[in-house]
Amino acid sequence: MADIAYPIAERTLANGLRVVVSEDHTVPTVTVNLWVGVGSRHEPAGRTGFAHLFEHLMFQGSRNVKSGEHFSALMAEGGRLNATTWFDRTNYFETIPKGALELALWLEADRHGHLLDAVNQENLDNQRDVVKEEKRQRYDNVPYGNALVDVYATVFPEGHPYHHPTIGSMEDLDAASVEDVHAFFRHYYGPNNTVLTIVGDVEPDDAFAKVEKYFGALPASAQPPAHDVHHLDPLTEPVRLERVEEVPNDRLHLAWRLPVDSDEDYLACSLAFDVLGGLSTSRLVQRLVRDEQVATAVHAHTMGFVDGVSLGLLIIDVAAGTDAGAIEDAVVEELDRLIAEGPTAIEMESSLAETERAWLSSLASQEERADLICHYTLLADDSHFVNTLLDRIGAIGRDQVKAAAATYLQPRSRAVVSYLVEEQEAAA
Amino acid sequence: MNTSVVVEPPRPDVDPPEPYTFPEARRRTLPNGLDVVVYDVPGQYVHSVRVSIPLPLSREPRDTEGVATIMARTLDEGTANHSSSEFALLLERKGVALGAGASEAGISVDVDVAKRHLEYAMDLLRQALTEPSFPDAEVTRHVKQRLAEIEQERSVAAQRGAIELIATFFDASERSSRPTAGSRETVAAITRDDVVAFHSREVSPVGATVVLAGDLDGVDAFAVVEAALGGWTAPEGWEAPPQPVAARTAANRGRVVVVDRPGSVQTELVVAANGPDRRVEGGWSPYPVLGFVLGGSPNARVDAVLREEKGYTYGIRSIFRPRRRGGLFLTSGSVRGDVTVESLDILLTILDGARQGFTDVETKQGVDYIAMTAASRYATADAIADEAATLAFEGLTTEFTTETLRDLADLDAERLGDAYGRFADGEWTVVVVGDAGAHVDGIRALPHAAARDVTVVSG
Repeated sequence: MADIAYPIAERTLANGLRVVVSEDHTVPTVTVNLWVGVGSRHEPAGRTGFAHLFEHLMFQGSRNVKSGEHFSALMAEGGRLNATTWFDRTNYFETIPKGALELALWLEADRHGHLLDAVNQENLDNQRDVVKEEKRQRYDNVPYGNALVDVYATVFPEGHPYHHPTIGSMEDLDAASVEDVHAFFRHYYGPNNTVLTIVGDVEPDDAFAKVEKYFGALPASAQPPAHDVHHLDPLTEPVRLERVEEVPNDRLHLAWRLPVDSDEDYLACSLAFDVLGGLSTSRLVQRLVRDEQVATAVHAHTMGFVDGVSLGLLIIDVAAGTDAGAIEDAVVEELDRLIAEGPTAIEMESSLAETERAWLSSLASQEERADLICHYTLLADDSHFVNTLLDRIGAIGRDQVKAAAATYLQPRSRAVVSYLVEEQEAAA
Repeated sequence: MNTSVVVEPPRPDVDPPEPYTFPEARRRTLPNGLDVVVYDVPGQYVHSVRVSIPLPLSREPRDTEGVATIMARTLDEGTANHSSSEFALLLERKGVALGAGASEAGISVDVDVAKRHLEYAMDLLRQALTEPSFPDAEVTRHVKQRLAEIEQERSVAAQRGAIELIATFFDASERSSRPTAGSRETVAAITRDDVVAFHSREVSPVGATVVLAGDLDGVDAFAVVEAALGGWTAPEGWEAPPQPVAARTAANRGRVVVVDRPGSVQTELVVAANGPDRRVEGGWSPYPVLGFVLGGSPNARVDAVLREEKGYTYGIRSIFRPRRRGGLFLTSGSVRGDVTVESLDILLTILDGARQGFTDVETKQGVDYIAMTAASRYATADAIADEAATLAFEGLTTEFTTETLRDLADLDAERLGDAYGRFADGEWTVVVVGDAGAHVDGIRALPHAAARDVTVVSG
């Protein structure tokens, strides 16, 4: 196993901002990455998609920054930047030449502290339109574009934080008001609900001092409403949703409820998904794609969440002329076999080796390293996670994978979302 | 109430970075004609290996187009000593990611592997490149997978638009007018014999380049590469492929083609003109800047209007895409269905209007962005190896990257405008993927030259 030892220095400011610095002097650049502890899981009914719409407004100006200036000011100094929203968090990040570190911190502090000075109806309406086009482009105007939306709604019950997607609904986007923006900012934004990571060509003490300079004066303003944990056990019987649409081929999505992110059982489940379908030597790939040639592609992956449950997903493209039901039967057989026999030593070795390369590749860039440090500091309270994940996975034995599969990957616990080809009328 | 006056720190100044230089390569040509390029990148513990085999796709027989892609995709599906499944296991047990594909420039084979397994991975690369067995069942499987992929591509608006664009832009006699990875009929016709013949005729170390980038502390890079690929020999009777020539464009390329998708909630717009290759007179450096200034950020000319002012799009991108000879200038993105005609009008007006030139401010912003992002864009082993491998197809080295970045210092608004005018001649090829019934009359009424010739095709 590779010996990973990225330096980690951590400090918490008086206002609650957690700051992590990982110095790396190989390139004269710096990544600033902030994770805010708010995502679509915090959205109340009637306001789905709001966390993401809010993220767009963070680029439309703040107390001392004009609309669009966050982008233009950093890009003009050689910055590459963006932001994303997901179920459990919202992240904001830029990679800049090291001489622009203070500018980046000043810009971030201005919007994370003083956004509301600049929010107005015009900005909101414009970005609402942009987000609706994002939804059309990525979901509504793409074959299978809403399949994952259907998966979340099928595997998690109505009212659960993960039942609805981050993009939200058109109706809820329409309903968002400037007052909602103010309330959302007051609840969730503030140093006491944020992790800031700096990776790159800096000295930790200097970096901490600069963060203190720009963020130190911000009050600990976030006041997240109380939020119970929404634990979910595996499904006790299969749930299914079938859509007949204009798609190029039948596609099956099989989903399971998994334990929360970075829990040992979650890692064991992720190994099980590799064995089933995540590798080119996986059982379902070997059987359905290589041997029987009844599927043209099999994908498997897990999505780690923090609020009581995670998601495991198998996606199978059905070959022309094959019945989707037969594919599902084969999946059930392979699940039963994995639960009965567990993975082989070679399967464990392959999964670990592939995980190692993928993890090292992610950590190879300052951008992703900073994002991963923020991720596990905010959501797992572990700033050293980047250095320890592979050892933790390496310590998981075959029996643990077998046991996790028996607990979480029972055939009866599956949710199935099928997208089936609309039958064309026969030509006269 | 407890109030305190907090003095906010003023907006800080920025210390600009030192001029950037691409990491230095070491080079050697092996006796078999293979060029080896090595980058030592400290701290990069995943090694990236890239093999570039220049090869014009016109070498594919017309009736089996796509054979280069199928050949590339089946290189690791069985070798002299291993079945397809055995080889997959050999790769994955050590976490070796091996991928291969074909492009306008030739065949690419990529390997990424943790540093300690480099030699192991290089031997697998050798087997895939030099002794693939192309089992019949595996070729058949990849043909079927490519056929499924063709249907998937046709179902995605952006990809459907790209297919229609090349068919409209390039002369029909050109290989470039048809999909790189082949079409339904030609792919369906590909057999194992075709794949074997293509490999044994075309895949040679002579003129090919292998790039290795990563943390090379303690690694004798040339020895590792030579041990694996030094014995790779050119096929018997192999002849160097002809020098590439620019593909001819269609005589009637200045027109609009609407790909009909009734009921589409969004419309994909693609606008194309001729573009430069990297050896263009006047230098390559203006073109990445032009892409940025026109369609590279929310504040770029196109998105400043269509996104930030109007809210019609999530984003429209402009890019100059160089080919081995000649190139394309592409602007593309999706807009809300009911503003299709207005959006196309605005887009063409902006692209035409840019022929009047650029301001000093936007020139400086574009130059600074391209120049000063280089250090972070080329920070990882895979990005360094990708850049070197891309340039190798054109017979260029990453000295080109350094020189292009240096040349930005001399780029002013006048030179930027000249560079744009060299290709933006007002003859736009436009592809619209959306509801033809709702938009075609409006498009025909637009005051742009391309709108004088509007054709509707089925989606």
